[in-house]
Amino acid sequence: MSISNSTELICFLVLAFVVILGSLGVVLLGNIVYSAFLLGGVFMAVAGLYLLLNASFVAAAQVLVYVGAVNVLILFAIMLVNKREDLKPIPGLQLRRFLSAGICLGLLVLMFRVVLITPWSLPGPAAIGEGATVRIGEHLFTDYLLPFELASVLLLMAMIGAIVLARRDIQTVDVGTGNEVNQSLIEKAGTPLLVDKTTT
Amino acid sequence: MKHRYSHKSLSNDALTMPEMGAILLSTQFMAAPDELLSLSINAGAVAPEGCVLLAMLGTLIVDLAGEKAASRWAPPICYAGLGAALLLLAIQWDTPLEPSFLGAFLADKLAIAFRAVVALSTLLSLLISWRYAEQSGSPVGEYAAILLAATLGGMLLCGSTDLVSVFVSLETLSVASYLLSGYMKRDSRSSEAALKYLLVGSAAAAVFLYGASLLYGISSSTNLQEIGIALLNSPTPLAALALVFVLATVAFKIAAVPFHQWTPDVYEGSPTPVVAFLSVGSKAAGFALALRLLVGCFGAFDEQWKLLFTVLAVLSMSLGNVVALAQSSMKRMLAYSSIGQAGFVMIGLVCGTEEGFASMVVYMAAYLFMNLGAFACIILFSIRTGSDQISDYAGLYQKDPLITLGLSLCLLSLGGIPPMIGFFGKIYLFFAGWADQQYLLVIVGLVTSVISIYYYISVIKMMVVKEPQEASEVVKTYPPIQWKTIGLPPLRVALISCVLITAIGGVLSNPLFQWANNAVAGTPLLQEAIELTTQRALV
Repeated sequence: MSISNSTELICFLVLAFVVILGSLGVVLLGNIVYSAFLLGGVFMAVAGLYLLLNASFVAAAQVLVYVGAVNVLILFAIMLVNKREDLKPIPGLQLRRFLSAGICLGLLVLMFRVVLITPWSLPGPAAIGEGATVRIGEHLFTDYLLPFELASVLLLMAMIGAIVLARRDIQTVDVGTGNEVNQSLIEKAGTPLLVDKTTT
Repeated sequence: MKHRYSHKSLSNDALTMPEMGAILLSTQFMAAPDELLSLSINAGAVAPEGCVLLAMLGTLIVDLAGEKAASRWAPPICYAGLGAALLLLAIQWDTPLEPSFLGAFLADKLAIAFRAVVALSTLLSLLISWRYAEQSGSPVGEYAAILLAATLGGMLLCGSTDLVSVFVSLETLSVASYLLSGYMKRDSRSSEAALKYLLVGSAAAAVFLYGASLLYGISSSTNLQEIGIALLNSPTPLAALALVFVLATVAFKIAAVPFHQWTPDVYEGSPTPVVAFLSVGSKAAGFALALRLLVGCFGAFDEQWKLLFTVLAVLSMSLGNVVALAQSSMKRMLAYSSIGQAGFVMIGLVCGTEEGFASMVVYMAAYLFMNLGAFACIILFSIRTGSDQISDYAGLYQKDPLITLGLSLCLLSLGGIPPMIGFFGKIYLFFAGWADQQYLLVIVGLVTSVISIYYYISVIKMMVVKEPQEASEVVKTYPPIQWKTIGLPPLRVALISCVLITAIGGVLSNPLFQWANNAVAGTPLLQEAIELTTQRALV
């Protein structure tokens, strides 16, 4: 085994260890701030895995999008909602945890089995390395042109929707009749599904 | 340089678009830039979607001028966009088939039929939603824009032949649906619906992505046709796992039991016009996706997915129709009934014969009119009374004969009572199932149809049979009927046209059947699947 191979193996093992331990921490830790920071670590380690696969562009995109945007957004959301509220204990939580752990382990075993009995065509395609950015650009403007353009519509629509849901100015008058309105369903609830906190 | 298309001969004259694109890309160092530019992407195939997009941008622009201008100008812009889209789809029907965007999109007759269903369902949902949106005080312009974006996603989903475009269009449809279901932001029910839909939908999207990544790993291609070929050549156990993941997403989108848990809550909490769109447009796009993925891509796992879908169909038909019996809210009842109706459509999918596919298309088209007609009636009722409880409909026939007549006809059609359009759609589905020896499905379908007739008729009984003194409080204080308020005339147009088509469309349904048969006959994907099924039957 040459030095480069063994370095690659060691890097892979360290990164894989970080990913597995970090994601277990994200799921299992009780404090959501720890989870959020660990999630950032997991994203960074995944970017490291991409680098190992010689996909530097994808690694950079991963860091920019997931660590730089998604994770920071999650942290902002947590910091903005700094309201400590004691939730009602869920009945049978322990049993539920065991059940979901059992299902997840079953899935894991199934995946392992399938991965082991599948005849993989190895080695896979050789990595292009630095040429990858050019290749991705060409794909985006030829055979992936339609999803690329559609993604812009998706983002536009998501932005408009977020603004509509978040903005404060409320319409108070029905344009057609001049009656008062309150932006709720026309069908009045027989029994409320959620307890309305504004009235109690 | 060994590239992934090396098994195909370069001298082959009949190179299709994706192959040409791939070859150009794999020989990129030799290709001059102008050669790349001269590739034909055949973008005319998505011209109908372009109209919808223009209408969406137009609504956003007029919305800048304020709420009054939006409520004045957004409707005509939407009608123009969707009308032009439907017109272009009709023109597209007879044009020769050619893959566009280098294999990312295919406007075959199946895609055109389902895109027309999606566009028409949006048009009708918009007609019935103006009054509702204004009475509830939600901004009309953005509402129309988001609904049009959902339509855009749904229409592209019907014709996508590439995993990446399938996923992006699926997400466009889904994200727009989450936004729409939470549109009444001051109402906790609406927020709850949006949150539930978002969480379950994101989980489904993640599962789909996982399955798609497995498929790409097996075939090293994102094109559905090439994946299908790769799976046919080497059906690995990993592909079966990918099938399960992909099938779960499809089942989520068409709300098949046991992937239906979100449906009742989302349908109850969302604004009613949005429910109308979700129950027809979104579901039609889901069925188109099912056809593309399962028939087009998993042909090698024919028996497996048909077995799974048989189970899903039996569960959907029985659970949907039985639980609908116990509902007291009209929207919730229609939610469970729509689960049952999706179960009926799955019979056609499981058959895999010419009649099976054609009956699916016929039933989706019939379901469009009868379900949207029913929704137009219950929206009109809730606009006038502010209620959607079934018990509040008691004695309605004396105060509002139009709602009573329209709702009765549409519900009878949904139940499958003879002269209506729903009867012919259902009988065609059962006929196709029986001819393909799907006896279990047909018998379950017949029994659950009878159950469904019971709960549909009990609504009609509530409206018609009650004496005046037995009428509900809501009906006793019913407001005088008027059609002058902004948004009510379009609702009336939609209501009357849906009810008319439901009532007399059944007798005059021959063009519909011919259209559906043409759609199936003109789709190479379905023809190959039918050939495969008949070959298996002979062996």
